[in-house]
Amino acid sequence: MKLRVAAAPHLVTRESTRMLMLDVLIALLPTTAAGIYLFGLRAAWVLCASVVAAVVSEFLWQKLMKRPVRVGDLSAVVTGLILGLNLPSTVPLWIPVLGSAMAIILVKELFGGIGHNFMNPAMFARAFLLASFPARMIVFALPERLLGASQALSGVDAVASATPLVMQGNWSYMDLLLGNIPGTIGEVSKIAILIGFLYLLFVGTIRWEIPVLFAGSTALLSWIVGADPLAAVLSGGVLFGAVFMATDYATSPVYTAGKCIYAIGCGIMVVVIRQYGNYPEGVTFAILLMNCVTPLLDRFTVRRVYGTVKKHA
Amino acid sequence: MRKYTFGGGIHPLSDKHEGKAPTRMREITDFAPDQVTIPMDMHLGAPSVPIVAKGDYVKLGQVIATAAGPRGIPVHASVSGTVSDVGLRQLAGRVPSMTIVIDNDHKDDWVELTKVGGVEDAPKDQIIPAIQQAGICGLGGACFPTHAKMIIPEGKHVDTLIINGAECETFLTSDFRLMVEHPERIIQGTRLAMRAMDIDRAIIGIEDNKPEAIEAMSKAVHGHQGIEVAVLKTKYPQGGERYIISALLKREVPSGGLPLDVHVVVLNVGTVAAISDAVLEGSPLITRIVTVTGVVQNPSNLRVRVGTSIKDAVEFCGGYTEPPARIFYGGSMTGIAVPEDSFPITKANNGVVVLGEKQVTDYKESPCIRCGRCVRACPTRLNPFQIKDVLDNMDDLDGAEKLHITDCCVCGACSYVCPARRTLSASIKAGRDVILARRMAK
Repeated sequence: MKLRVAAAPHLVTRESTRMLMLDVLIALLPTTAAGIYLFGLRAAWVLCASVVAAVVSEFLWQKLMKRPVRVGDLSAVVTGLILGLNLPSTVPLWIPVLGSAMAIILVKELFGGIGHNFMNPAMFARAFLLASFPARMIVFALPERLLGASQALSGVDAVASATPLVMQGNWSYMDLLLGNIPGTIGEVSKIAILIGFLYLLFVGTIRWEIPVLFAGSTALLSWIVGADPLAAVLSGGVLFGAVFMATDYATSPVYTAGKCIYAIGCGIMVVVIRQYGNYPEGVTFAILLMNCVTPLLDRFTVRRVYGTVKKHA
Repeated sequence: MRKYTFGGGIHPLSDKHEGKAPTRMREITDFAPDQVTIPMDMHLGAPSVPIVAKGDYVKLGQVIATAAGPRGIPVHASVSGTVSDVGLRQLAGRVPSMTIVIDNDHKDDWVELTKVGGVEDAPKDQIIPAIQQAGICGLGGACFPTHAKMIIPEGKHVDTLIINGAECETFLTSDFRLMVEHPERIIQGTRLAMRAMDIDRAIIGIEDNKPEAIEAMSKAVHGHQGIEVAVLKTKYPQGGERYIISALLKREVPSGGLPLDVHVVVLNVGTVAAISDAVLEGSPLITRIVTVTGVVQNPSNLRVRVGTSIKDAVEFCGGYTEPPARIFYGGSMTGIAVPEDSFPITKANNGVVVLGEKQVTDYKESPCIRCGRCVRACPTRLNPFQIKDVLDNMDDLDGAEKLHITDCCVCGACSYVCPARRTLSASIKAGRDVILARRMAK
């Protein structure tokens, strides 16, 4: 008889890092499908390019640095897909490739790999692309379905357009909800995002605080400054950001109190940038900014340990 | 009905009935092996001192080792027969244990027993000495000498006795069976403990996944003033002393303190049943109920003689159904793995679980992804991943101390939920033990 001795616990949860990442990918399926449906094959190519580039750059970097190769945990796939969904379908394919490589190498691997990055890799890459190639990044296609199949089939690029944030009032709530609006591949269909959100809540991958408070505070603040609160949440990237990006484990606070402050901070920043900044959309910068506040929030929201009197951190 | 609970915690093996299904309807069966191996350090504190030698004949229940000091407890022969060995053996402890081996003559030739009295007429001042003489220690697993817990120091005041019937650990049903089959012994023991300590109120806490036990105990408390049954939500580690106190009374045991500091004494259901036997019959603690389960033919609840080997107990249950890969004392959350099945079942062991090759996975740690599951699982509200980080990367004991590492109760909840398979609980325990040793040295 050969017994193997080990420390307790002897049985553990089935949940693994890969399973959590797989759940995020499953939750992104409706959004991905809606994006491809709305923007056509072109969108599929962009998503493919960013996912493949993310996985390949992680693999090559880890090989090159002689670190254990961890592409199997699927986190690079998630990063790549989220970046792709944050791009307009009109971008040349080198944009997602460059963005993914930056996200993985510069933001994730150089800071110690999975779990150690202090900014959301996909968000940082998008901000970088937005700052470096603004002309390519804010040209949004109108959804093909909106223009009618004939034009899409003719191969002519869809008309470039500004997002509803620039041209407010031209879209019905139904258009905003379904995604019949110009925008990035993943952000337009709010229905698809909400399905993903419910899935993530159901399987317990994320908790409700960040998405709900992020969207809620955006709506409330928009209403206070005189904008349409519902349109504020349904247009632009608020919902996609609140569900899929602000909830990133590595870059969001650990304690519930911190999560709440962080989410409300995101909402405030979005409205401030939208209303008073030069950019029409502020989700990316809002999340990146709050990412940087996360370590501080984790420090100041430490819970009182059982049986102790709370001291200041 | 109101259900009590605490913050944090987890639901281990909730998709498999906490591993309890195979044994929960198995009635307690007696088993006496051909030989018992009785360690002298079954309880917490100084080991007992053997007073028998090889070749001696001992009666059942005879004292074979005396208490080392006023906080120690004696050890009794759990079978009648001949002492075949007295010597050191490496068991699950850190250092070899002094053990007495007795060959059972199967005559169950009892030593003469003297009872102290009835539940209401046993002299108050004789109850606690009787508990010590019976060799009783906490049967929930910690095995702290019970009499030492019951002597309330000068200046301390206790208003509530909690009887712990939570049995939150996975796989175990021994306390459950005791509550279902012998509720009256638990009530008698509770009354005796209340009288001995001058406490007017006792609460028997039982998790809501044990409706039969709740029913049996509720029926048994009927007519007993001051004793009540409280239903706890099923959540691990509800049976941890600190968490059952905060669940039932909303009091927190101060960091580094004892339940006494919040006017509470907690005793396990098995312990109070042993108190009942000790006072009403004068019988020492020579058996204990143990759940034997896993890859064994007939998973069972056995009342074994203290010192029965795991091997004999498993053979009595029909043997292994497949080659065992891991065997541990207790449940899967905190169980102590043994290197061989010749190890004895002691007073502390409420279960023996055997896992087959398929169930034992050697996990490989991967990087922490900061998902926060360990943080939410921790009943003490620590930050397990941060403490492990501080220990692993910086070997920073002072840093870990500032993060309250010494408040960790090693329940294992953090390790259980970690998707990156990080050995949080084991690392924290190792760091905690070093820090505690360092404090002792100062």
